[in-house]
Amino acid sequence: MLVYTLKRLLAGVITVWFIATATFFAMHSVPGDPLMNDKAVTEEIRANLERKYGLDRPLHEQYFVFMGNMLKGDFGISFTQQNRQVNDIIRDHFPVSATLGVLAITFAALGGILWGALTAIYRNRLPDIIIMFLVILGISVPSFVFAALGQLALVNLNSLLGYSLLPVAGWGTIWHMLVPSLVLGLGTMALLTRLMRSSMLEVVNEDYIKTARAKGLSPMRIFFRHQLRNAILPVITVLGPQIAAITTGGFVVELVFAIPGLGRYFVQAVQQLDYTVIMGTTVFYGAFLVLMVILVDILYGFIDPRVRIES
Amino acid sequence: MKAPPTLSAEDFEPAQHDIHVEQISRPSLSYWEDAWRRLKQNRRALISLYIIVALAAFTLIGPLLWRVDPSLQDLNQISQPPSMPKEATLVAPYKRWSGVTINDFPAYPDDYLDLIPAPIGLRPAMPPTTQAVRLVWDPVKGAGGYNVYRNTRRPETINDLGLPLGGTMAGNEVSFQDRLNLEQRTYYYSVISTDGYDESSTYTTIEVTPLLAMTRQDAISRGLIPEDSPLDIGDTLQIEFHPLGTDYLGRDMLARLMEGARVSLFIGICAPVLFVIFGILYGGFSGYFGGRLDQLLMRFADFVVALPFLLFMILFKIAFGIGPGESGILPMLIALVLLGWPATARLVRGQVLQIREQGYIQAARLLGAGNGYLVMRHIIPNTMGVILVTLTFAVPSAIFTEAFLSFIGMGVAPPTPSWGSMCNEGVKTMLSHPHELIFPAAFISITVLAFNLLGDGLTEALDSRMRSRE
Amino acid sequence: MSHLLEVNDLAVEFATYGGNVKAVRSVSFHVDEGETLAIVGESGCGKSVTVQSLMGIIPMPPGKITGGSARLKDKEILGLPPREANRFRGVEIGMIFQDPMTSLNPTMTIGDQIAETLRVHRGISRQTAFKRAIELLEKTRIPEAQKRARQYPFEFSGGMLQRAMIAQSLACNPSILIADEPTTALDVTIQAQILELMMELQRTENMSIILITHDLAIVARMATRVAVMYAGQIVETGTVDEIFYQSAHPYTAGLRQAMPSNVGDKNKQLTPILGSPPDLFDPPKGCGYCARCPQAMNVCLSRLPPAMAVGDNDSEHTARCWLQHPDAPDTQAVYQPGKQHAG
Repeated sequence: MLVYTLKRLLAGVITVWFIATATFFAMHSVPGDPLMNDKAVTEEIRANLERKYGLDRPLHEQYFVFMGNMLKGDFGISFTQQNRQVNDIIRDHFPVSATLGVLAITFAALGGILWGALTAIYRNRLPDIIIMFLVILGISVPSFVFAALGQLALVNLNSLLGYSLLPVAGWGTIWHMLVPSLVLGLGTMALLTRLMRSSMLEVVNEDYIKTARAKGLSPMRIFFRHQLRNAILPVITVLGPQIAAITTGGFVVELVFAIPGLGRYFVQAVQQLDYTVIMGTTVFYGAFLVLMVILVDILYGFIDPRVRIES
Repeated sequence: MKAPPTLSAEDFEPAQHDIHVEQISRPSLSYWEDAWRRLKQNRRALISLYIIVALAAFTLIGPLLWRVDPSLQDLNQISQPPSMPKEATLVAPYKRWSGVTINDFPAYPDDYLDLIPAPIGLRPAMPPTTQAVRLVWDPVKGAGGYNVYRNTRRPETINDLGLPLGGTMAGNEVSFQDRLNLEQRTYYYSVISTDGYDESSTYTTIEVTPLLAMTRQDAISRGLIPEDSPLDIGDTLQIEFHPLGTDYLGRDMLARLMEGARVSLFIGICAPVLFVIFGILYGGFSGYFGGRLDQLLMRFADFVVALPFLLFMILFKIAFGIGPGESGILPMLIALVLLGWPATARLVRGQVLQIREQGYIQAARLLGAGNGYLVMRHIIPNTMGVILVTLTFAVPSAIFTEAFLSFIGMGVAPPTPSWGSMCNEGVKTMLSHPHELIFPAAFISITVLAFNLLGDGLTEALDSRMRSRE
Repeated sequence: MSHLLEVNDLAVEFATYGGNVKAVRSVSFHVDEGETLAIVGESGCGKSVTVQSLMGIIPMPPGKITGGSARLKDKEILGLPPREANRFRGVEIGMIFQDPMTSLNPTMTIGDQIAETLRVHRGISRQTAFKRAIELLEKTRIPEAQKRARQYPFEFSGGMLQRAMIAQSLACNPSILIADEPTTALDVTIQAQILELMMELQRTENMSIILITHDLAIVARMATRVAVMYAGQIVETGTVDEIFYQSAHPYTAGLRQAMPSNVGDKNKQLTPILGSPPDLFDPPKGCGYCARCPQAMNVCLSRLPPAMAVGDNDSEHTARCWLQHPDAPDTQAVYQPGKQHAG
């Protein structure tokens, strides 16, 4: 297990290094000049800015400076928000995104397991048919559409009620978080429900369930101790990629609901070509996602003895 | 034990029957015939297939039938909801209106009344059109001016009168002209008397539905009528028909959806086809040769899989940049192919490795089959099913990716429409004109839904384990 | 005399989308204390469904017990609600399955799974149950039981797993052990060990065994009495000797001729039974075997033979074959007591 973890971490570090390098060169291959957008820049100011951002040095030197700084955990200063450290942007706004993401994945995982188990129990009966119809919808509707429709529904609901039941946009209280995290988690929830359902139906036909019944265990005990536990395993394996999906889905949900999360800043930076912010947040996001996938795999190892003992 | 029944001697005669050994009860079907038969039984998959065919027709044949330029801006009809064909009334070019002032009525009150009554006799001075709505009312005794408000719904209280349009500053000026962004819809105009400074607490409301108006000059320049048209002022004419409404620049939604379908489906289908082909070659190569080369190739595939997909899509888009006049379709296609192939490669490699070990391959080898024959006759047909399913599921995810990138402004560059970029534009006017978001969103969802259901159906139909279950 | 387990006219159907499959049709048998009843038959003849419906573990739906009764120690056990069924499942009747590799929960340790039975039925603490589980593993000759109890199924070999399954099914000292093809998935050498173990435990624990198998060699070795099943019915039942040496049904005789043997004529040819069993969507009106039976008579096509005693009326050797009818013609194919060519 330890060797496995170390191997995975090493592969993760290489991936992050590649992400950083790719980001750096992607930024520097962009046609045009980041400072060109600023109007009325005199030669003098321009030279100052170039020195400040190290743009006057050769590419490979810039690369080493960038990597060195990154290792120290310093991503530089924003181009468009003067005097704002990229580190500060990440520190200020990532917690918001993380809260949103954690809530969404919690919604998605709990909902997915619950609905999946329910549909398996009520297989081919009305609850199953209704839930599976919603699941197909959930898988087929992009997250930004959910976000927009969620907001639209909220606006109409509030105006119908005549008072503000839930805030339509912004951030701060738990009430602000409710709808955005729900719409963010919907796609993943649908996917997990589907997976959980097929997994449950597969497990139900396993011989060990027959054994458990022949042992004289109560249906509840069989359901929780034998069926559910084994059925959840394949669901956990997709959590890693799904965390990635929720993180990137967070970009648009934050945009639509005007949530001051890192995702929104990232998208803004991308649109404004704010190089340092793009580089910093991309590397940060990349490292975060790689780490999450590794964590989920290790977690899976702890839950599934076959992986834990054999690796 | 019960006594056995009585039987006749004839009963014990040997039976005349054939021992039918090994009878075959079902007709033999080829793999694809069988899969197709099973797919046809799956109603959801079949409907999805029809939807996909309809979408293809919408994309390919639609623009031939609906010959409206998707980039033509109809500034007279901005953000129109879906509607039936509309008519406009020809009007004379706009002329200044001096209004109505009643000379024998005091302009200013001599006395401040406690309550100035609301004006009565509020009416349009001439038939209201979208060119101008002109209102007149009877003067109110004691009034020193009037304020005019406009709302799109019937006001319930005095705080609900809507947009303050302006007013007059004298008691005998009893008219008002509204030319502010008039659309063909019902408005509620309210007039309140003032004492010259403060408003009274009562108001009069009138419901006005202006006719869509257009000058002759305008109609000719938009090509709606020929220059020598006999139509005269007061006549009606058909204006541009937008069955699904228009967007914020007055562009026809239907034409844009068709154009957007071309872009979205082109990316959504081409990219998966390309990366699946690449994946097949890569995975097949890797699996077929095996050994160190296989190890190395698969390590690389693992590495590409580990990269955060959307982040890299965004990076690619930034790195490529979009020059003026470019649509950004090609960079997106390249990026999708570069990042999308490993899943197929892994799958195909696994299949090839598995099939290589199967007994029937060994048997074919023993019978003297060559490599080429094995690949063509056994390996490819046996992987086709899985590949087809992968391809079907890759389409919706490519469409999703395109939509996502276009939505955050990193995809197809305006003015080229794609469903994603239309959503991006639509979301900005979502609260007032939801149709601009809902149509492209619905198209994305229906397409993805259809491909997903078809994929499910194919998985079931091609699963040879299912054959024996019936 | 009342039997330990008595099954009468059991009928089971499965609703499939092609129609109702009548998997078990009027099956009756009994098991006495300390004996081994072997149920023999080819794949799909309904032998597993029979015992699984006794245990109430066939999936319902699509399965449905459409008739009959089963009395264990004079108490009805068919159609009980789960809570009541669980008073005998795992307590009075233990069960082991064909494939030990898939019959144990992959995510629980062996010890925990055995202990679970004890905790549920005996209400004892986790520690005590686990200790008892180790003892049971020792009883089934699993070396290093202490360590093995903490391992997961995938760390066991097939033979070891079947031992663990036996240990689990014996946890509550059941009076009957149902073994559903317990050695089919195992190597021949391991098979012998498992059978040996089962026989030994049968002696020490004084329990009855219902052994489901298609292997006549195992039957010969283990069984006291045999029930031969074909197309959802018991076509012949009797003691081992009766079944092997006085086969009263052409199917039993056919099975015997298809069975290799290391005694007797070296040049003897094995004779396969031609054809395949009838479609149980729509079972034949007469005898299920008559399409394949070389001795088929007119009556076999039209009337289902009842279970008739072979020889005198009190004999427990019965066969569902018209050839056992008092008026039936003589034949050499089957044993017909009182007729010329008997034997």
